[in-house]
Amino acid sequence: PMAQAALGSAGLHFDDLNKLRVLEPEVAAQTAQLREECRAFVDKTAEFQKIVGSLIELVDQLAKAAESEKMKAIGARNLLKSIAKQREAQEQQLQALIAEKKMQLERYRIEYETLCKIEADQNEFIDQFIFQK
Amino acid sequence: QVWDSFGRALYSSQPQEYPITCIAWAVDGELFAVGSFNTLRLCDKTGWSYALEKPNTGSIFNISWSTDGTQLAGACGNGHVIFAHVVEQRWEWKNFEITLIKRRTMKVHNVINDAVDSLEFRDRVIKASLDYGYLVVSTSLQCYVFSTKNWNTPLIFDLKEGTVSLILQAERHFLLVDGGGLYLYSYEGRLISSPKYPGMRTDTLNAQTVSLSNDTLAVKDKADEKVIYIFEALSGKPLGDGKPLTHKTEIVEIALDQKGLTSERKIAFIDKNRDLYITSVKRFGKEQKIVKIGTMVQSLAWNDTANILCGIQDSRFTVWYYPNTVYVDKDLLPKTLYEKDASEFSKNPQIVCFVGNQITIRRADGSLVHLNVSPYPGILHDYVRASRWADAVRLCRFVKDQTLWACLAAMAVANKDMATAEIAYAAIGEIDKVQYINSIKDLPSKESRMAHMLLFSGNTQEAETLLLQSGLVYQAIQLNINLYNWDRALDLAVKHKTHVDTVLAYRQKFLEDFGKKETNKRFLQYAEGVSV
Repeated sequence: PMAQAALGSAGLHFDDLNKLRVLEPEVAAQTAQLREECRAFVDKTAEFQKIVGSLIELVDQLAKAAESEKMKAIGARNLLKSIAKQREAQEQQLQALIAEKKMQLERYRIEYETLCKIEADQNEFIDQFIFQK
Repeated sequence: QVWDSFGRALYSSQPQEYPITCIAWAVDGELFAVGSFNTLRLCDKTGWSYALEKPNTGSIFNISWSTDGTQLAGACGNGHVIFAHVVEQRWEWKNFEITLIKRRTMKVHNVINDAVDSLEFRDRVIKASLDYGYLVVSTSLQCYVFSTKNWNTPLIFDLKEGTVSLILQAERHFLLVDGGGLYLYSYEGRLISSPKYPGMRTDTLNAQTVSLSNDTLAVKDKADEKVIYIFEALSGKPLGDGKPLTHKTEIVEIALDQKGLTSERKIAFIDKNRDLYITSVKRFGKEQKIVKIGTMVQSLAWNDTANILCGIQDSRFTVWYYPNTVYVDKDLLPKTLYEKDASEFSKNPQIVCFVGNQITIRRADGSLVHLNVSPYPGILHDYVRASRWADAVRLCRFVKDQTLWACLAAMAVANKDMATAEIAYAAIGEIDKVQYINSIKDLPSKESRMAHMLLFSGNTQEAETLLLQSGLVYQAIQLNINLYNWDRALDLAVKHKTHVDTVLAYRQKFLEDFGKKETNKRFLQYAEGVSV
């Protein structure tokens, strides 16, 4: 005990196995235990980080997929709108062509009517002769 | 919108969907093209639209026509250059209808027997004309002549210069106008003549300024628009003494009549004031007067088988059954007309052709309308040409139409058949003329009868000349006295030293009747010498 105190003031201790230690045995044991626990803690933290890392990656991929889908959706909507306009333009074109054709028809109809009238006149003329002679 | 050179609006289209970005006239002035957004429209010169195309090219910013008038190029908003050519032109004549279905192919449809023929050409077709039983087609290198009786064997000859701008046909030959000049060919392909006049420019000639008939060609000058050059068709030389026909105002449209004798060939023309005049084509000896026979005339055409003229006067469609009447008996002209209201033809009608008894008119909206006229005047013309006077009279008696009788009266006097003239005048109730004709019949000599007939037609100068030539001086003097040409009567009397006293006596009586005093110096002078 006195030896222990004298050693202790010098900073040396004898432990159970009669080895010379720099630290008190209890403190050493506790320190070792602390060291073990810290190591376990660090391991757990590292594992946690890995798991969270992979989770983040997954979520990122999902985000990208969602973005690309959004873009596709916007593109499709625009296309739809433009097709509608194109159809309108086509319809206008066809209407214009129809109007032209109608005008042509009207012209031909007028010509036809005048020719019918001439035919009627000529028939009348011929009849005059048939009935006179 | 289309305006004429006076600034009057001729045509105004419907508003279009998109703004119009360019317009271009074709070289011959018959068509113009209009470009707009995704639109190309072909229009006639009077404004109506022939065809519409909708190419997807954006706006067409500039259009340019080729010199032969068959193609055009357009600069488009989307960076492309678009080429278009004119197709599906149609020609119609009697029972034939011909369509240009492709640039080098024509389809001929005979509507009577529904026969269809296809005509192939080596090169692009530029111009064609169908009339008088022949189809004349000009391509970029050759000219083809088809007879309607046989489409399989055309006559082909090479053209000197490429681009024919106008083809005009007459019964026995046709005219080609290209950059080098005017060429007259027979339907057998033989070059007949090539008329020229100093300062001639062929790029300004079109169907209104050139007219062709069997023996004569008339061309309106561009440098001086009051002048018409007249050529003999067969030789290409100017007719008569070479001086052209000159009018007092600019001329817009000319047309030669097609039938009858060369010596009676007439030309009708419309001047800038839209008055219609007619005159003889004869250029030697005494020129015939230019007589006005219509006003506000927009369009005219001669018939192809008889010398009947039709025209649109303001809102009346008029047919002059015998335009020569003005040289025979002016008073008869109104009786030889047929008039019909033309308001159904819209504001700006153009006569397309006058074939047989049918007239085709194009309205301002592009539609064609057809009209029929009575066939009797045509038949009358035929009878008179063959001098079948008895048949002519019988026809008039059968038809019982005043217009026909009036035509016959004029024709009879023109051909100096006074017997028929008497009958005709009696039928239309012109008693005074009948009496005059009767008195002519009783005249002793042939010359005096001739002279009186000339007098009847109003040709006082010729009548006097004839009388003097045949020594009938007294009659010549009497003629002048009757016309109150005192100075002339006195001149003749003094020159031939006869009947001076007669002249003085008549003059005296005239003055007494009217209560006037003698103021003419020459008469005073002579009165002193002779006392009555």
